[in-house]
Amino acid sequence: MAEKVSVAEVAEKMYKMVKEAQGMRKLKAMDLTKNIMEIYGDRVDKQTCKDAIREIIETEKCVYTYFGGSYIELPHKEGAANP
Amino acid sequence: MADAPKKRTTDIGPPHYEQFLPPAIKKNYGQWKYHEILRAGVMKHVAENGDAVYTVRAGGSRLMSIDKIRMICDLADKYADGHLRFTSRHNIEFMFTDEKKIDTLIADLKKIGHPVGGTGPSITSIVHTQGWVHCHSAATDASGIVKSVMDAVIGHFENMDLPAKCRIALACCLNMCGAVHCSDIAILGIHRRPPKINHDLLHKTCEIPNVVSACPTAAIKPTTVNGKPSVTVDEERCMFCANCYTVCPSMTLNNPLNDGVSIWIGGKVSNARHEPMFSKLAIPYIENNPPRWPEVVEAVVNIIDVWKNNARKYERIGEWIERIGWPNFFKLSGIEFGKMHIDDFKHAGLTFKRSAQLTY
Amino acid sequence: MADELPKTPMLDELEKGPWPSFVSEIKMAAKRSPASKDLLGILERSYQEKIGHWKHGGIVGVLGYGGGVIGRYCDVPQDFPNVAHFHTIRVNQPAGWYYKTDALRKICDIWEKRGSGMTNMHGSTGDIILLGTSTDQLEPIFEELTAIGFDLGGSGSDVRTPSCCLGKSRCEWACYDTMAACHDFTKNYQDELHRPAFPYKFKFKFSGCPNDCVASVARADMSIIGTWRDNIRIDQKAVGDYASAGVDVTKEIVNLCPAKCMDWDGKMLKIDNSTCRRCMHCINVMPKALRPGKDTGACILIGSKAPIVEGALLSSVIVPFIKMEPPYQEIRDLVERIWDLWCDEGKNRERIGEFIQRVGLGNFLEMIEVEPAAQMVAHPRENPYVFYEEYFEEGEEEAEN
Ligand code: SF4
Ligand code: SF4
Repeated sequence: MAEKVSVAEVAEKMYKMVKEAQGMRKLKAMDLTKNIMEIYGDRVDKQTCKDAIREIIETEKCVYTYFGGSYIELPHKEGAANP
Repeated sequence: MADAPKKRTTDIGPPHYEQFLPPAIKKNYGQWKYHEILRAGVMKHVAENGDAVYTVRAGGSRLMSIDKIRMICDLADKYADGHLRFTSRHNIEFMFTDEKKIDTLIADLKKIGHPVGGTGPSITSIVHTQGWVHCHSAATDASGIVKSVMDAVIGHFENMDLPAKCRIALACCLNMCGAVHCSDIAILGIHRRPPKINHDLLHKTCEIPNVVSACPTAAIKPTTVNGKPSVTVDEERCMFCANCYTVCPSMTLNNPLNDGVSIWIGGKVSNARHEPMFSKLAIPYIENNPPRWPEVVEAVVNIIDVWKNNARKYERIGEWIERIGWPNFFKLSGIEFGKMHIDDFKHAGLTFKRSAQLTY
Repeated sequence: MADELPKTPMLDELEKGPWPSFVSEIKMAAKRSPASKDLLGILERSYQEKIGHWKHGGIVGVLGYGGGVIGRYCDVPQDFPNVAHFHTIRVNQPAGWYYKTDALRKICDIWEKRGSGMTNMHGSTGDIILLGTSTDQLEPIFEELTAIGFDLGGSGSDVRTPSCCLGKSRCEWACYDTMAACHDFTKNYQDELHRPAFPYKFKFKFSGCPNDCVASVARADMSIIGTWRDNIRIDQKAVGDYASAGVDVTKEIVNLCPAKCMDWDGKMLKIDNSTCRRCMHCINVMPKALRPGKDTGACILIGSKAPIVEGALLSSVIVPFIKMEPPYQEIRDLVERIWDLWCDEGKNRERIGEFIQRVGLGNFLEMIEVEPAAQMVAHPRENPYVFYEEYFEEGEEEAEN
């Protein structure tokens, strides 16, 4: 079986996904996980994805947001999402 | 969030309940034999070993200041060794073993403005949502209507004078943070106009595919307005549910001219006798009339009176109406039946009368 | 600073009358808190104009958590600057909502210093709600709350704060230890509660008996309702005592039994337990004479929700009976199979109840490896459009022999 991908690598990849989607599509944790699993196949598992999400959030590269459901986005400026 | 504290504690969960249990409750945990309601708001629970615990239940308002919480703590210190609990319907309960404390506690509660009751065949505190106090999608206020209705029906809180229990709930929009849809009487805030779209801001604040997919009736389509990406709403299809507004702040539903209240009745969640059932539409629309919504209060009082005067013992509103039939309910209550009472969403056909078993 | 309260002629009307007044509550807090003072002002304006003045604000929280804070801003900050930010904090309540006053007072002290002084005891889901603070206070509040042993509740697409009835602590009808189960599940799913990873919210509610005092059948994605499998315990003498005290056993109990499984001849109360539906009516009316059986546990129902998005649902049976003993491994395994499936196949904002409606209960059961049981339906299907999955091929019968 292929070598496992590191949490750091997955986190970096996820961060890029969020950055690219920003403004076009809001991504949920499960979208990130699904995309990653598609890219790396059996080289990642759900726990790695979970840990990676935790990493991008806790290093403040991304934040959780809520718009009728929870998403993961780049940090907003305070009040910026409000008309 | 520049300098987050160095040692953050996370994921500890709530404190363990055991440290908060009154001693007599802890001692007899799982050993209760039976209970009696001594009078409205006062219960006696007896354990297998003969121990008795008295509970006094006071009505609360969901919106409370820390000043009031401290007053309530003072009473808990004085009467219940510093223990208290809240019920799922905003009531406050004091538990102790000395029967003699009951009357003075009730008097002290009266002094800080809290009535005692809400047990057995009565009306208990109304569960409700935030309304204009804190919510962005509220079609009405919650606390103001609740206060006005409770002022009018407090007699049924302090006395167990109804055929069965009556659970009233209020939600200030269809989001129903309070899930009121299985209440004996549900007061529900409603919008009646399609969203107003802020085309200048929409593309900045909302992802258009999310907005389009938020609509349960597929009324929303992407479009371009003044060169900016935006959406249109097919007003014929819109059922004013505000799902779109929940995901996109640039689609406001709030409309002071048209927002108001509807009243739904006959739901229940307990399994006693009849299975749980949804509340059904009684009154489609009552205008917002702050500060005391007299028309809403009158409608609720009327429904309770008609039920009280006609139901048999143990019949909750829904069980009573099921026995006498909806035509009789409309006749007795004087509420007019009309087109809006007839369901037209999914599976509406199941709610049509499909027999000749009729009353006249 | 906040010595003079704004004029609120409309709200003042709501200080009249016998029921506790929320306006008086806000006024008490407003004596000390500028935010509560502006809350009075902005609410009076809403009453005058018949419209709310709050806006979404889904972008604030504490570091690392995606739940527990509801962002809120007002749309007239120039007039009410002290409620320009007015975020809500959900604090996970102890199971059964029991408190000691010292713990409550500590929460009040934090909230006096760092917030509006207004609360909900409690919110609809069960949390303590601290109503109204600004973004810069969120981290300090979180730090101080955890220091006294409290943590935030859920919000967004995560496990919402579980809640339960008081169960065995004071109720003789509790068929399992609801508070223990609620606490156990809450502790066990901290990650799922604080870090939203689902298509939408997921609520657990624990009721000790079919009276369902926390309304789990209407408001929980997973409703765990206590019940029993053996016979109702009858104390015939106590039944007689009720009868002589004026209870009309035939009219009030036997005739109202939905299963019509009871009989009373003036001396003996008989129950056909094989058809008793465990509805609780007879037990509710004569608690000294009748009690649930001794082989107790719970039935698990799934999928209830309010109307948003696809219409309201009640929960429906998925496990007719299960023993409720820690560590609840069987239920946990089931929950995890359900979550895995829902995260893989569920659509954004689709609750589990809606998901089941979409894929069909039969298919859902298959996907989560649960055997169908007759208790799961009110009645078998009425329509003949059956998707048959097994059939014979020509010549197959012989091949098998
Ligand atoms: S209010 Fe509801 S029905 Fe109307 S457009 Fe918005 S989502 Fe669609
Ligand atoms: S619990 Fe309900 S169904 Fe069973 S015997 Fe009592 S009343 Fe009848």
